[in-house]
Amino acid sequence: MTVQQSSAVERDSAWTTIRRTLVQRPTYLIFAAVTAFFIIFAPNFATLSTAGAILRVTALVSIMAVGMTFVIICGEIDLSVGSASSWSGMVIALLLQANVPTAVAPLLVIAMGALIGLVNGLLVTKLRIPSFLVTLGMLSILSGLALTITNTEPVPIVDDAFSDLLWNASYIGLPAPIWWTIVIVLIGYYLLQMTVFGRRVYAVGGNLVAARFSGIKTDRIKITAFMFSGMTAALAGLLLAARSTAGNPSLGSGLELDVIAAVIIGGTSLFGGVGDIPGSVIGAIFIGILGFGLLVLGLSTSIQEVIKGGIIILAVALNRR
Amino acid sequence: MAADSPSTLSDKPVDGAARPLVSMRGISKSFGENRVLRDVDFEVSAGEVHALLGENGAGKSTLMKILMGVYRPDAGTVTLDGEDIGGTSVLDHLSHGIAMIFQELSLLPNLTVGDNILLGREPRRTGWRIDKRSMRRDAQTVIDRYGFPLRAGQLVRDLGFAQRQMVEVLKAVSRGARVLIMDEPTSSLSLREEEKLFAIIDELKARGMGIVYISHRMAEIFRLANRMSIVKDGQVIGPLDPAATSIRKVSELMSKSKPAVVDTAVIEVAAKPASAGVATALEVRGLKTARKLDDLSFTIAQGEIVGIAGLVGSGRSTLAKALFGLIPDARGRVTVGGQPLKLGHPDAAIAAGIAFVPEDRRLEGLVLGHSLSSNVALASLDKLLHRIGVPVVSDRKIADLFEDYHQKLGIVARRPSQLASELSGGNQQKVVFAKWLATKPRLLILDEPTNGVDVNAKADMRAIMRGAADSGVGVLLISSELDELTASADRILTLVDGRITRELFEAKDEAELRATLQADLAAMKKERLA
Repeated sequence: MTVQQSSAVERDSAWTTIRRTLVQRPTYLIFAAVTAFFIIFAPNFATLSTAGAILRVTALVSIMAVGMTFVIICGEIDLSVGSASSWSGMVIALLLQANVPTAVAPLLVIAMGALIGLVNGLLVTKLRIPSFLVTLGMLSILSGLALTITNTEPVPIVDDAFSDLLWNASYIGLPAPIWWTIVIVLIGYYLLQMTVFGRRVYAVGGNLVAARFSGIKTDRIKITAFMFSGMTAALAGLLLAARSTAGNPSLGSGLELDVIAAVIIGGTSLFGGVGDIPGSVIGAIFIGILGFGLLVLGLSTSIQEVIKGGIIILAVALNRR
Repeated sequence: MAADSPSTLSDKPVDGAARPLVSMRGISKSFGENRVLRDVDFEVSAGEVHALLGENGAGKSTLMKILMGVYRPDAGTVTLDGEDIGGTSVLDHLSHGIAMIFQELSLLPNLTVGDNILLGREPRRTGWRIDKRSMRRDAQTVIDRYGFPLRAGQLVRDLGFAQRQMVEVLKAVSRGARVLIMDEPTSSLSLREEEKLFAIIDELKARGMGIVYISHRMAEIFRLANRMSIVKDGQVIGPLDPAATSIRKVSELMSKSKPAVVDTAVIEVAAKPASAGVATALEVRGLKTARKLDDLSFTIAQGEIVGIAGLVGSGRSTLAKALFGLIPDARGRVTVGGQPLKLGHPDAAIAAGIAFVPEDRRLEGLVLGHSLSSNVALASLDKLLHRIGVPVVSDRKIADLFEDYHQKLGIVARRPSQLASELSGGNQQKVVFAKWLATKPRLLILDEPTNGVDVNAKADMRAIMRGAADSGVGVLLISSELDELTASADRILTLVDGRITRELFEAKDEAELRATLQADLAAMKKERLA
């Protein structure tokens, strides 16, 4: 109730913005501390090649985190992204095996990702089933399909043009997955932070009723968010398949947890209405640095998971709002 | 056990206001730099209603939270029956008999009346089992003692608002409450329910309960209160004797030093021009919904304010929502500015030029966790683009839009990026108004626009409304405060049980309007029964 009587409205100064960011996102401090720790204690951590490796590892999570950010800001969740990416990897491998042109097959898979998102979105909005349940079901369906379609056998990809385009090639000194990350992040940033659609996404998550009462087609906004999430999951599946030059039914399993953690660490509220794309990317990079740093320190993958989990819980606890 | 313990209330009237039941002396409280209360005295005697008034943000709720034990005062004492309870917790205060009935009732709708009354004090049988039979019996005993029309086995979900309030009261008295704080108890009640509540308050008074009554509605305060105190800028004026003062005097005392009434002339809404030769803002023919509305027909001219008078449940809000496209099964012919409107689509309604300030600004009007500027821009994002055709929103234009209405409507705010949740009720409502005026409407639908805002902000809302009408907008005003309708509307339609029964051109006074409504409702019931 501290309403000050002042006729002129202050504009925010840069300093106020920075200070407010740090107050709202204390995770950035943990992020800085952990990175500093690795730079000091992990051998050869602060090198360009390390940075490149981390960014490449992070690409998958970053791309899916962009789509997930839309869904979570809408106040929903998408648990199906990990298995959607596995399934997409299987489909692309089978399409390429069936000699579908390299230029066409990936687009078909991305369209399929949109379709998966559409189904998720329709079930959530029209049948009013909580997204947690809908996408949990979808997770199970897609991972089951991925295993069934070839009877759990991986499908090799012999199309080098495909693997180059999505993973192996470098353009202007940057490897392909980093370019794809940049493309998706820019698209996501544009859509969420600059367009009318983006403002409506925030409004839908901030107060669904008020958004509806402001003439916003809230169902359509949510469905679009799920479709975008499905498309980013499909793209991640393509990258996964290109990386291992094979469609493998369990490549993406469990990725949804890293993706959701990245988005939440990045300051997006699980309750909706608050968050942004750069935060999610920083969150994804943080998870990448954590994994890579622990690896360089020589810790076993099992104990890495424990430490990672602990730090994620700590970060999210600090970000609570 | 509720059946035998609650009789801390004596049935004999306590003699006079000689000795206060609760007494707060020299209370001060600061939050950081902000001194909310300064050396405040406040007391309640047994068997009296002590009304507490004050603008939003004046410190009323802080004072009550100290009385409830939510906050600890920085200085001062709180004594109950001479015993110091200053430094204790909410639970202690409850057990000492101080209870509060909140604006948003705190009942569990999925449980029965009896469950709610005895919540946390259920009679037990061996093995932690709840003794359902004796619970229902105990609860019914409490209900019968006050003669409320409730049954212990009813689900709270199925009760009306007034009945839920009764359950709240019973919950408090059965815990042995001696002081009851009621925060805006009539804000959701119909006229008839109000009368019931007032009867309950009289009954509680007679049994020696001390009641703190917080309200913005002067008429009921003057009807109920034995004493009244005004909180203003962290200090208390009074107590005053209602018989020795007047509504006008009290409003003056409440208002801040400078009455910040919005200048009607500034609010040029510049309504979209209607089709040539059309002077009606809205024409409704045969509007029906499955549940509530029964064949409504009326028109609103440009620049006219039409009031809808109706009791709770008459379909007032349904009418507003149906016109705005929020009721999918609404049928009928509606034209806005001469153009036919497709019902059932809020975006179509906005495109046609309808603006809708909803009843509940926190739930329906605002995204509380977002900035003021993005709230103001929400309904007109399509018009705030960098360049026409490219769907990129211009932050510059949003900031300018906010600045524009910030000055026109006198919104008290620090920055455009301030969160909507940080403003007082009146300023929040101005933000909702700004959002809709920014769409340049032809028809402005206002559902309870002054609900829960203080006296000065009410005057501002009326000025904004009149300003909009003067610039050619048709206004549909729905209000349960009948004096507001008689004061503001050019014409009043009475809505009784989903039908328009009368059209009143002369501004009647509040009492007359109220009587008319109740007579019509009774007639309607008889007709339906026959």
